[in-house]
Amino acid sequence: MTRVVNVPGSFDSRTFEQFAKACGDMTDDRLLFDAHATQWASPFGLVGLLAAGQWAAEHGPERPLLTVPSDRDVAHYWGRAGFFAHAADWYELHGKVPRVTPAYSSDVLLAITPVRGSDDVHGVVESVQERSAAILSSELGLEATATMGFAMALSEACQNIVEHAGTSGWVAVQAYHWRRRLGRRVVVIAVADAGIGFRRSLEATQANRFGDRWSDATALEAALFQGASRFRDPGRGQGLGGIARYVNRWSGKLAVRSGTARISIVPSWDDDQPLTEGLTPFPGSQVLMIVPAQEAQ
Amino acid sequence: MQRIDLKAILQRTVSSTYGDLVTRPTGKAVRDGIQAALDDVDSEPVAVIDFSTVRLLDYSCADEIVGKLLLEQGGARAFLLQGVTASHCEAIEPVLQRHKLAAIARDREGRVRMLGHIPEAARKALSALTDRTEPGLPAGESAVFLPERTAKAMLRLLHSSSATTRDPADSPSAGTAE
Repeated sequence: MTRVVNVPGSFDSRTFEQFAKACGDMTDDRLLFDAHATQWASPFGLVGLLAAGQWAAEHGPERPLLTVPSDRDVAHYWGRAGFFAHAADWYELHGKVPRVTPAYSSDVLLAITPVRGSDDVHGVVESVQERSAAILSSELGLEATATMGFAMALSEACQNIVEHAGTSGWVAVQAYHWRRRLGRRVVVIAVADAGIGFRRSLEATQANRFGDRWSDATALEAALFQGASRFRDPGRGQGLGGIARYVNRWSGKLAVRSGTARISIVPSWDDDQPLTEGLTPFPGSQVLMIVPAQEAQ
Repeated sequence: MQRIDLKAILQRTVSSTYGDLVTRPTGKAVRDGIQAALDDVDSEPVAVIDFSTVRLLDYSCADEIVGKLLLEQGGARAFLLQGVTASHCEAIEPVLQRHKLAAIARDREGRVRMLGHIPEAARKALSALTDRTEPGLPAGESAVFLPERTAKAMLRLLHSSSATTRDPADSPSAGTAE
C-alpha cells in the first residue's frame, strides 16, 4: 500500500511540523511524497526532505516516490540548489526533473552538499568562505571577524553530523531577502541528517544524570547549554555552544530539532518558542541557523 | 626558539590542499605533527606555534591543537601562540577556559595578550609588562625595565595562572620579548 505525504506548499522551518506529522511512521507503507504543488522550499525544507527520503528508503518497505514540483521555476530552483542530484539516491522521482546542474549564485552560497566525513567538512568550509565573505560583509553589514565566525559555525554544524548522527547528512547555505518576515537580507545554514538524534547519541553519558527527565528535550538542552557530549573527553561538546554564542552576538537564530523536541535561541525579531516538546517524531537532527543583516546604527 | 608553522604541518600531515584548521581528525593530525617537531628539538625551552598562515580555526581543532597540546606538553616547555587573529582567539578562548588553562598569544600587529583562565591580577601583571615599551626598538619587539623584585613577583603571578610559562627563577627580571 502507498501512503501520500503532502509536502507543504511553502516548505520551510515553520511548516516543517506539518510535514513531520504527514510523514508519521515511515516504516509501514510505501510513501509517496507529493511536492507537485509546492511553490517554495527553503534550504531547511529541502535538506529535511532528503532526510525523510533516506529514512523511508532505509526503513520502509520500498524506496519512496517523490513527485517533482510542477511549476517549472520552482523545479529549476530545486535543481540549482542541488536537490535532485541527491534526491535520486533515495527517491524514485516522478515528473519532469529539470536538467540543471547545481550552481552558485547570489542566493545559493552552497548547493546541497552531502556530509559524510571530515573531508566533506573541509570542502564545505573552503567553498563557502570566499563566497559568503562578500555577502556577509557588504550585504549583511557584519565585521570581518563575523565572516570567520560564520565559517566556524558552519564547520561545527557539519561536524555534528559526522560525530553524532551515525550516518551521513546534508548541508546547504543560502542568502535571500526576507521581505515580509524581517525586511532584511539573511544568510541561512540548514543541516539535516536521518541519524540517531541527540537523545540516543548522548544517552550513554548523560541519561543517568537526568533520570526520569531524560528525553529529546533534555538531551537538546544538555547539548546546547551544558556542552554535553557522548564522549567523556572534557574538551568535547563545545561546537553547539560556539554556534549559540555566534548567533547571539549577531542577533541571529539557532534552532535544533531532534526526535520530538526543538530548542531555539530566539532573537527579538522572531516569535519561535525557546523549547517545544511533544512534536511528531522525526528521524535524526535538523539544525537551522539564520544570520540577518545588521540594523544600521 | 623553535617556530612551528601550523599551515605547513597541516599540509604535510593532512592534505596539501587544505588551508583551514577545521575538524577533530585534522586537529589531532596537526597536534601529532607538532609533537613530532617538538621531539626533534627536545631541549628547546620555548616553542612558538605560528598561526600567521592559518585562515580559519574552529572550536574542535582549537581543542585538539591548543587545548590538548597544552594539557600534554604545557608542563614541559613554554608555548607562545604567534600570529593569532581575533577569530582564532574566539576559538581558543573557550577551549582554554574549559580546561582551566591559559596561554600567551601575540597577534599579527605584535600585541601580546593572555587567553584563557587567568585571574584578573595576573592579567593586569601581564598588561604592565607588555604595555611598557621602550622607544627605538624594532617593530614587534618590546622591552620592560622593572625592579627585580617587582618583575619576579609579576612573573610568579603569571606562572601560577598559566600552564605555558616557565619557572620564574629561569626567567630574566627584565628583557626583550622574543
